[in-house]
Amino acid sequence: MRKSLAIAIAAAGLVIAGAAPVWAHHAFAAEFDSNKPLKLHGVVTKMEWINPHAWIHIDVKNPDGTVTNWMVEGGSPNTLLRNGFTKNSLPPGTEIVVDGYQSKDESNKMNGRDITFPDGRKLFVGSAGTGAPSDKSEK
Amino acid sequence: MKGCWLLVLIGAQAAFPQGRQVQRDLEGIWSNATITPLERPADLGGKATFTPEEAAAYEKQVVARGNVDNRPKNAEADVASAYNQFWYDRGTKAVGTRRTSLIVDPPDGRIPALTAEAQKRVQETRAWMEAHATDGPEGRSLGERCIVWFTAGPPMLPGPYNNNFQIVQTRDQVVILNEMIHDARVIPLDGRPHVAENIRQWRGDSRGHWEGSTLVVDTTNFSDEYSFRGSDRNLHLTERFTRSSPDTLLYQFTVEDPTAFTKPWTAQIPVTRAKGPIYEYACHEGNYAMVDILAGARKAEQKAAGNKPPK
Repeated sequence: MRKSLAIAIAAAGLVIAGAAPVWAHHAFAAEFDSNKPLKLHGVVTKMEWINPHAWIHIDVKNPDGTVTNWMVEGGSPNTLLRNGFTKNSLPPGTEIVVDGYQSKDESNKMNGRDITFPDGRKLFVGSAGTGAPSDKSEK
Repeated sequence: MKGCWLLVLIGAQAAFPQGRQVQRDLEGIWSNATITPLERPADLGGKATFTPEEAAAYEKQVVARGNVDNRPKNAEADVASAYNQFWYDRGTKAVGTRRTSLIVDPPDGRIPALTAEAQKRVQETRAWMEAHATDGPEGRSLGERCIVWFTAGPPMLPGPYNNNFQIVQTRDQVVILNEMIHDARVIPLDGRPHVAENIRQWRGDSRGHWEGSTLVVDTTNFSDEYSFRGSDRNLHLTERFTRSSPDTLLYQFTVEDPTAFTKPWTAQIPVTRAKGPIYEYACHEGNYAMVDILAGARKAEQKAAGNKPPK
């Protein structure tokens, strides 16, 4: 019994480890460049609630004082909504720090691998206590 | 107004024939989300079913593993695994039957081996896609092209998210609207034959009939370009929907394709009533990724051309 349970758990690990990285609507590795990591501090201007993936738009101030609008790719809006993320969760004007990779076409697009508020709280992370909307809705 | 009630009555008689106790009502919004994999993990060997304790431990382990902010140190892996658990909606439960795989036949819980012919075809397709991956949209997967989704069916399988579908029924037709991509499958129940052999469709051609309280849906005429786990144009799919309780459906499908699989195989997925609503997916509307992928490839080509030494 104990042995079979251990096997079951080990197998579960394999399933998750093997399946999770490839389960997106499209190949992020084909769209974004692993040689172009980016960390941008910006202000949300809008969020596009579109499938297959939502896009967050942010204004980023450049060193020369000009402003560039960047688009950040996120998850399926249907799932975001079910997980408690609404149009009020990231209103225009919110400051965020996006850590990800620039698109291969070198346009102002990137993926949002990690998104945090300036005080360090994380957005879009499912683990407990990170401020994800799903955490809040469960309390 | 009277006409409306008459229509309702006709509908009710069709769904619940007089003198029979069978319940032919599949209508509603349903979810097939589960963490149970399609195939039994190799490590489980001959173990077809968990004990209740094992199932609980399995669920706990899977949820704990997914519920962390897990960023690989390697940049390539970090880009590829751009999702974390917050993007997913697979649920937290294994199937209620406690089976270790959704596949119930063959008994090893795994998809039977492909025939030599099918293996060759799969390899050739893969090689072609690799060689033409960024030539144009045709080199990308059907999912990336918003044409079909690998779990939306037929047959329908649980996937990473949006595991919802709605069934609408009339006397002569059943419609299954799947949340992923855009699929609304209209299934005639009036006994009409399949379309002609030379008419091929992405999601095949479905025909349904009732066997007692079970809706049996027979699907053939799949496109040559469509492949479900290695299937080819000879794929013959039989799906069975049974209302097992007010809030559950038992969904079962059998894959027969003698030119692709060395034997038929069957999977069983308990489906539960979902709160709804089904949200629009409209995949093409915001499929910026396709443009980004191809534009990225063109950019790389321009750079490569620019870097060539002059003749």
